[in-house]
Amino acid sequence: MNQRDLEILSSYLDGQLTPSDSARLEARLKSDPELVSVLDDLRAARTLLRKLPQRRAPRNFTLTRKMVGLNPPLPRAYPAFRFVTTIATLLFFFTFGVNTLAPQFAQAPAFGIGGGNEAESFVAQAPAATEPPAIAESAATEAPATEATASDLLPLPTAMPPSEDSARVLGTPTTKAGAAGNADDSNQSLAGSDASPQEGAPFIPSVWQILFAVIAIAGAVFMALMRRSSINRWK
Amino acid sequence: MNEQALITDAQQGNLDAFNTLVLHYQGGVFNTALRILGDEDQAADASQEAFISAFKSISSFRGGSFKAWLMRTVTNACYDELRRQKRRPTTPLEPDTDDGEEMDSPRWLADPNMTPEQKNEADELEHAIQHCLNNLPLEFKTVVVMADLQGMDYAEVATAMRVPLGTIKSRLARARLRLRECLQGFTELLRASYRLEGGHAAQ
Repeated sequence: MNQRDLEILSSYLDGQLTPSDSARLEARLKSDPELVSVLDDLRAARTLLRKLPQRRAPRNFTLTRKMVGLNPPLPRAYPAFRFVTTIATLLFFFTFGVNTLAPQFAQAPAFGIGGGNEAESFVAQAPAATEPPAIAESAATEAPATEATASDLLPLPTAMPPSEDSARVLGTPTTKAGAAGNADDSNQSLAGSDASPQEGAPFIPSVWQILFAVIAIAGAVFMALMRRSSINRWK
Repeated sequence: MNEQALITDAQQGNLDAFNTLVLHYQGGVFNTALRILGDEDQAADASQEAFISAFKSISSFRGGSFKAWLMRTVTNACYDELRRQKRRPTTPLEPDTDDGEEMDSPRWLADPNMTPEQKNEADELEHAIQHCLNNLPLEFKTVVVMADLQGMDYAEVATAMRVPLGTIKSRLARARLRLRECLQGFTELLRASYRLEGGHAAQ
């Protein structure tokens, strides 16, 4: 019994032989008891396997949308809303950042430059440097908010008398003193009647910030509504 | 059931159409996995994985026997499960009998209409066959499960396993012979089945 005979016998059992091959095998089976014995063994194994009961599946294997990661079809306008909302959000944070950081950058050169002498010289020069009266006037008329800001800052010098403070600062040329002196400087320069109205004013007008915030919030709300409506329709 | 229409719909993302196919084929898929893995829980997991994988890749089905394509998916899921077992071997939990001893074969899915003797005999037969199947090389086991347990023809098995027809014939013949030799060790247990078989052998 070789491998080829075994394959032929197995195929014969399954009816996979051509009629001529089947006839040839049947002729051999009549004269070869070993072939008959192997054929019986193969048939017995096949019969037992086919007697094996089919188990019922323990549960249904039907798929849910979550299982296969399907998302509801969203309206065509959804990507446009998403784009606009993203841009508006980014612009809002950008304008917010610029308006927050711009005053600090504007004051930065005064920090840590030197001691009280330099601060004092800056105080002395400040009105001259920042006070072309015509520009100040025109800026004040164009931006009333800045005037209010400047006037808000005015009471500060009264809380800390400039004379005492500058005297103390002049004697201690440290960073802290410099910073204190700088604060004093700015107060003095503002108190020096003609402070620039652009100081303290938002670098980007607040109306833009409000507009971006409104667009971002409205876009997010619309997107949420669209998504919810799509999910409801999908169910 | 118009299988071709359901397949076309499923290829366009229609999950309901695919679930109709699932309900039709889940018995065969589960039993194939069960005989290859020899464990019901693992077979259920592999079947579920196979259907998920089948849905995701159904666009790659280009016609022919859908059953064969599905069987290839489930055998791949079973091979993955076996590889996972090799990496992290686990001890299967067998249900306990009333006196606390482990049963060799779970009975909770047995046909309720069977008498206790029939149940016992069916369990013993199933246990013997599963034992012998587990001793076969994986590629032999897969062929014999598809051909003899699922009734697939040679061409379908060849498609499912992506091997030539001649290889299927050879593996099936050798698998059957090995099974026969193994099952001879259970002669006493299976005497009723052997008696039945005498009638078939005479055909």
